Amino acid sequence: VYAMRIVYLIAFILAPALLKADLQSGEERCGFTREWLESLTVSRELRKNGFHRELVTSVCCGLGSPKNLHFLLVERLPKGIYIDPYQLTSEQHDTGLQVLLDTEIDVEAPAYVSSAFPALVYPTRDPASPVCLKAVVPIHGRYHRPSDSGKRTAPIDIENPHLLLRADSCESSGDLPPNFIPYTLTDAPCTALNHSMCRWLQIHSAQEPGPLRLEIPVGDMRLVGLVSAATLLVTLLSCGYLAGAVWRNEFLQSRPPVSQGT
Amino acid sequence: CCCPMAAFKDWTTALLQKKGALFGTAYLIRILLVFYGVYQDKVMVVKYTDVDYHVFTDASRFVTQGSSPYKRATYRYTPLLAWILTPNVYVAAVFGKLLFVTCDVLSALLLHELLRLRGLGSAAACRYCALWLLNPLPVGVSSRGNAESLLAVLVVATLYLLERGRLSRAALCYGLAVHMKIYPATYAIPIALALRRRPAPTLLSGLLSRDLLVFAAVAGGTFCGLGLVFYHMYGWDFVEHTYLYHVTRRDIRHNFSAYFYMLYLTAESRASLALGLAAFLPQLALLLLTALAFHPDLAFCCFLHTAVFVSFNKVCTSQYFLWYLCLLPLVLPCLTLSLKQGLGLLGLWFVGQALWLAPAYYLEFEGDNTFVLIWLAGLLFLVINSFILVQIISHYKPEITQQKVKSH
Repeated sequence: VYAMRIVYLIAFILAPALLKADLQSGEERCGFTREWLESLTVSRELRKNGFHRELVTSVCCGLGSPKNLHFLLVERLPKGIYIDPYQLTSEQHDTGLQVLLDTEIDVEAPAYVSSAFPALVYPTRDPASPVCLKAVVPIHGRYHRPSDSGKRTAPIDIENPHLLLRADSCESSGDLPPNFIPYTLTDAPCTALNHSMCRWLQIHSAQEPGPLRLEIPVGDMRLVGLVSAATLLVTLLSCGYLAGAVWRNEFLQSRPPVSQGT
Repeated sequence: CCCPMAAFKDWTTALLQKKGALFGTAYLIRILLVFYGVYQDKVMVVKYTDVDYHVFTDASRFVTQGSSPYKRATYRYTPLLAWILTPNVYVAAVFGKLLFVTCDVLSALLLHELLRLRGLGSAAACRYCALWLLNPLPVGVSSRGNAESLLAVLVVATLYLLERGRLSRAALCYGLAVHMKIYPATYAIPIALALRRRPAPTLLSGLLSRDLLVFAAVAGGTFCGLGLVFYHMYGWDFVEHTYLYHVTRRDIRHNFSAYFYMLYLTAESRASLALGLAAFLPQLALLLLTALAFHPDLAFCCFLHTAVFVSFNKVCTSQYFLWYLCLLPLVLPCLTLSLKQGLGLLGLWFVGQALWLAPAYYLEFEGDNTFVLIWLAGLLFLVINSFILVQIISHYKPEITQQKVKSH
């Protein structure tokens, strides 16, 4: 795990700085023309309501795409939500979802003791649209600190992911064009299996959608006194009511045990 | 002279057949559901199998690899369960579910024998067992792969063996039950009171009876022995996840407990500890009181204990209801409630759950802020549960069993 973290560190902090480059000269070999790169669109939506949502990201490209394209969405998900690693395993089996998590996730902790975490999402071909790749990631809201000011929900913003791409046709870094600002080269796991590292081209899409927001209901802290008093009162009364019934019907004490045998 | 004999024979055969038919049907339904579950899991997005079942299987896989079951996050059970379920990995993934449904039927068989011991005829005993055998809740829970039925069988076996006077075996089952889940630990009080020496000058000196010492030694030995073995194997993780987690559990997420909203709002407050204690006291007081009052009838006492424990607990989910439902068939024959009253109480119990489930659904799946409604529904559910328990306590007449025996 630590080796992995160091690799990420190099990949995400050092590599882009060292490899900042301009693309032009190699575009014939990889097929990444500037026009084609600018035709890429990323769209995001949140499906479902409440605590259990689906974060849907589609990457669509224009005509003339290079063959065997791979995309990678580098997400940084906020502390207000979590991904269930075991649900991912089952989703991978059912829908082919490819997500790589490198942090341990406590699926029960409230937001205020959790922290943001990275996730590498590998979108796969969208059967509904041949020029698009899609990933439907199940996310869950965490419980949030109750509100002091009577706000009924707490907002959670999900930032845009970094979009990375690579094509099988230009595997080695030498094949990638050396100078093509504003695109940068970066290293990241080739697939969600995390067997090997690949060199990816990081895209800054022109049409970046804004952050997505979901609202999670929160408790009302102004009610704390009332809720505590009423709860304790009702539980004490119920306790007394039951105790009274037990007291009145304590008939077994003075009689022999019921065990009769046959 | 032949006619009564023949009639008796027919009657017995019919009864035996009835028992066979009932238990056979119940077992078949469960097995069919287990295999239906395999099918649904393959073809549908909504899975039949309980999430916990995958947790068990994953933990078993770690065990087969010579590793700790606690490497599987959210595995909060004894390693024994992971060990028992290793055939899930080696033989077939449905093994555990088949084991659970078998235990489900086995606990009904023990209930049947216990009811017979308590004086009921087989047909009548069957009728009460049917409430467990054909009840969709235990059927669904065990066929979906939840391990509650293992506990049910151990708890009912403890009561059955105690009734038959098999102290050491009863103690073995009891020690195992407490090892697997902590809630039967509360039964120690009524069991100790029931096994005490009488007459004795004081309650305390009565507790030094031979029966009780044997029971305590065997049950304690089983519990501590298993505990030491697993502590040796898996260290502190075992204690932490099997016991401490459940005792200190501070889950602020919504659940059936009346205390849920209070504990959520005060989770970070300094009063949190005091409130937790205040919530614990009514539970403790009622457990002690019911033990003192009803320990001569252990089945009834354990039923009340579990129902009180679950209703007044700080965390309560629907699987907890099974803990007392498995003892209900032992209580019902002694109730003087009419069928109408009984169905009324049952309806009330379901209404209480439905009133909680509706706002909980809107909170969880629609994102509506229904915390206050969930809290009120939780309080109402506690009041309903208390009302039902009071009805049960005041209509419980152990003598009724005898009358029913005569009528058969």
